[in-house]
Amino acid sequence: MSDAVEEPDGADQVKLAGEDGCVTVRLEVNGRPRVLRVRPTETLLDVLREQLGLVGARSGCGVGMCGACTVLDHRVAISGCLTMAALCDGARIVTVEGLSDGNGPLTGVQEAFVRHRAFQCSYCTSGFVLALEALLSRDPRPGEDAVREAFSGHLCRCGSYSRIMAAALDIANGRRAAGSMAEER
Amino acid sequence: MSTPALYFPDTLADAADILDAYDGTAKVVAGGTALTLLLQQRLVAPQALVSLRDVPGLRDVTYADGVMRFGALVSHSDVARHPEVHRRLPLLAESFAVVGNAQVRAAATVGGVLAEADYASDPPAALLALDAEAIVHGPEGDRRIGMRDLVIGFYQTALSPSEILRETVVPVPPAAAGSAYLKYTARSREDRPCVGAAALVRLAGDGTCAELRLAVGAATDVPVRLPEVERSAIGRGLDESVLAELGDAYADGIEPLVDVRGSAWYRREMVRVWARRAIGLARERCAGEQSAMGNGSAQ
Repeated sequence: MSDAVEEPDGADQVKLAGEDGCVTVRLEVNGRPRVLRVRPTETLLDVLREQLGLVGARSGCGVGMCGACTVLDHRVAISGCLTMAALCDGARIVTVEGLSDGNGPLTGVQEAFVRHRAFQCSYCTSGFVLALEALLSRDPRPGEDAVREAFSGHLCRCGSYSRIMAAALDIANGRRAAGSMAEER
Repeated sequence: MSTPALYFPDTLADAADILDAYDGTAKVVAGGTALTLLLQQRLVAPQALVSLRDVPGLRDVTYADGVMRFGALVSHSDVARHPEVHRRLPLLAESFAVVGNAQVRAAATVGGVLAEADYASDPPAALLALDAEAIVHGPEGDRRIGMRDLVIGFYQTALSPSEILRETVVPVPPAAAGSAYLKYTARSREDRPCVGAAALVRLAGDGTCAELRLAVGAATDVPVRLPEVERSAIGRGLDESVLAELGDAYADGIEPLVDVRGSAWYRREMVRVWARRAIGLARERCAGEQSAMGNGSAQ
């Protein structure tokens, strides 16, 4: 920072890098409050993987087009590679590791992906799963168009799209059927 | 990599002061999708980043007196899904709904897409066709800039380094008008546009054209309207031959740029096609036109 620049009055209005070259960010990750030191231009994806060991978010294209780095913030799907970690104060991040604890039951979406074997190498799977989780929390009974829209930024280079769509529609239709049954009652 | 200072002002006045102090070496952050990429690729190395996240009121979408207003931090998906926008400004909803992909639309903002002035983007053409204006806050207070004067070149706006685009104001066209945004991508569906065409048509009682607006985006440094071509449509029936004539006039009236999504020649030919289709679809969408026009396709 140049000497000519005066700092603003409120101390909470500025973050200057310390000797470690980092600034502090306070956020919640998979339900747990975290106080992290991050480089000012570091991506959320790198912080999740390198500091917290949450490698379910993957680096693919690095430019927000492939969806492998998808995480949820306040239940909305975002690209970890297009998000600056230092600006994430107050974020409520969920990675695929936060959906179920590894010993407990899988979510309905995860079960459907397993049931339909909706993957080959699985590199893209956490992104697809989180995209569908985000859609379902906004629209509990999505139609096929809504599912396709939610998957618009997700690439599967193995080409498992038909199985992924089958898993997603299984969930969407199942919920629709359940919903319409509830309405009939 | 440079280590910029990070600022979180809670008023626009403070934000403008910070930008002023850095004299062009600071960048404003809204959704951050474009800026994160530019930083990662080291295409920019600002001394400071000024986040607008703590400034209140920048996430509002409001309607009053025939005008819709969008705060700088309203996201693309907010615009694309907003029922009021669908009803009053379907052209705008259509253009924001096709930007990038769902994750990008969740983060990218109205203020960001305009202030970045990326030529290969969808909303600017729609905003130009809708005669939108930007409200800009700077050290001397607010000023209004029309879309035509806001984007002045390749990734260049009329904003001074200490000005912040705070709000986008869009006059609502007459309810009987029909509109269409058509995005043509030369590669994948989620790609940035090779050509975008935003059309708005209003018909007179006798079915002839009372008003035509057509903005072509992504084909040139800045989105373009050709007022003399728009005027040439008035009083004429928008049949296939007139649509082709208008498409030709746009194709031949612009200087297309060259990038990975298309050569200048290719873009010109695509403008010819997509300008015609956008006007045709806008005409079909005019109130009462559904039954009058026999075949319902946009071809």
